[in-house]
Amino acid sequence: MSDTPLSPKPLIEGLPAGSQLEGVLAHRPELLERYRQFYLGLWQSGFVPVRTLELCRVRTAYIHGAEAELAIDHPDAPLDTATRESLAAGTLTSFAASEQVALELAEQMPFNHHGITDAQVHQAVSAFGEAGAVTLLTALAFFDVTCRLKLVWSLAVEPAQQQADLLV
Amino acid sequence: MSSTPRVKPAVDNVPADFGSVTAHAAEQMAHFFDLYAEFWQRGVVAAEVKELTRLRNARITDCGY
Repeated sequence: MSDTPLSPKPLIEGLPAGSQLEGVLAHRPELLERYRQFYLGLWQSGFVPVRTLELCRVRTAYIHGAEAELAIDHPDAPLDTATRESLAAGTLTSFAASEQVALELAEQMPFNHHGITDAQVHQAVSAFGEAGAVTLLTALAFFDVTCRLKLVWSLAVEPAQQQADLLV
Repeated sequence: MSSTPRVKPAVDNVPADFGSVTAHAAEQMAHFFDLYAEFWQRGVVAAEVKELTRLRNARITDCGY
């Protein structure tokens, strides 16, 4: 994989300032706009707590070793150093029961999606409801996608605030 | 992987498929379908190439759907 970051195109007029990821997606402005609406919707749905989603996003980034994604801190769910260390190690026992349900799914989504069991999905439905389970599993898939895009495009780590704008 | 639906459809008397299950979160999934449609309907990459990669991806991820 190249060590040279892909140069993002300047953001198109009319779109909010954003990250390098948005800058690259801006080569297809209509696609960027829809990506943004969809991704924001996952965070703002209210079906799954933002902290739970943030734990899963960060754990997914650790699984991929995606530094550009790890550089982000969600402004509405900042994670302290101990929490980040637990996520880095994949140690889930300190988290709330519903968070563990989500994190165990996050653990498998990138490279072991066939290993996800009926029981795990049923636990997600019990913890978050059916709309929450749909939201959570969709979010996990897109956290995975986002890490892959940043790695494949070799996007540089950038100031956290620029990227955090994507999450709120 | 299970061969039976793990989440029931959001609508009665319809099969559990991608649309009926994700309809539990209809508003946000509408954004997904907008995104997916944009990907397929426009752009400089030919639809045939996108379809080839979609099918290859389905093989690699063993997705019979």
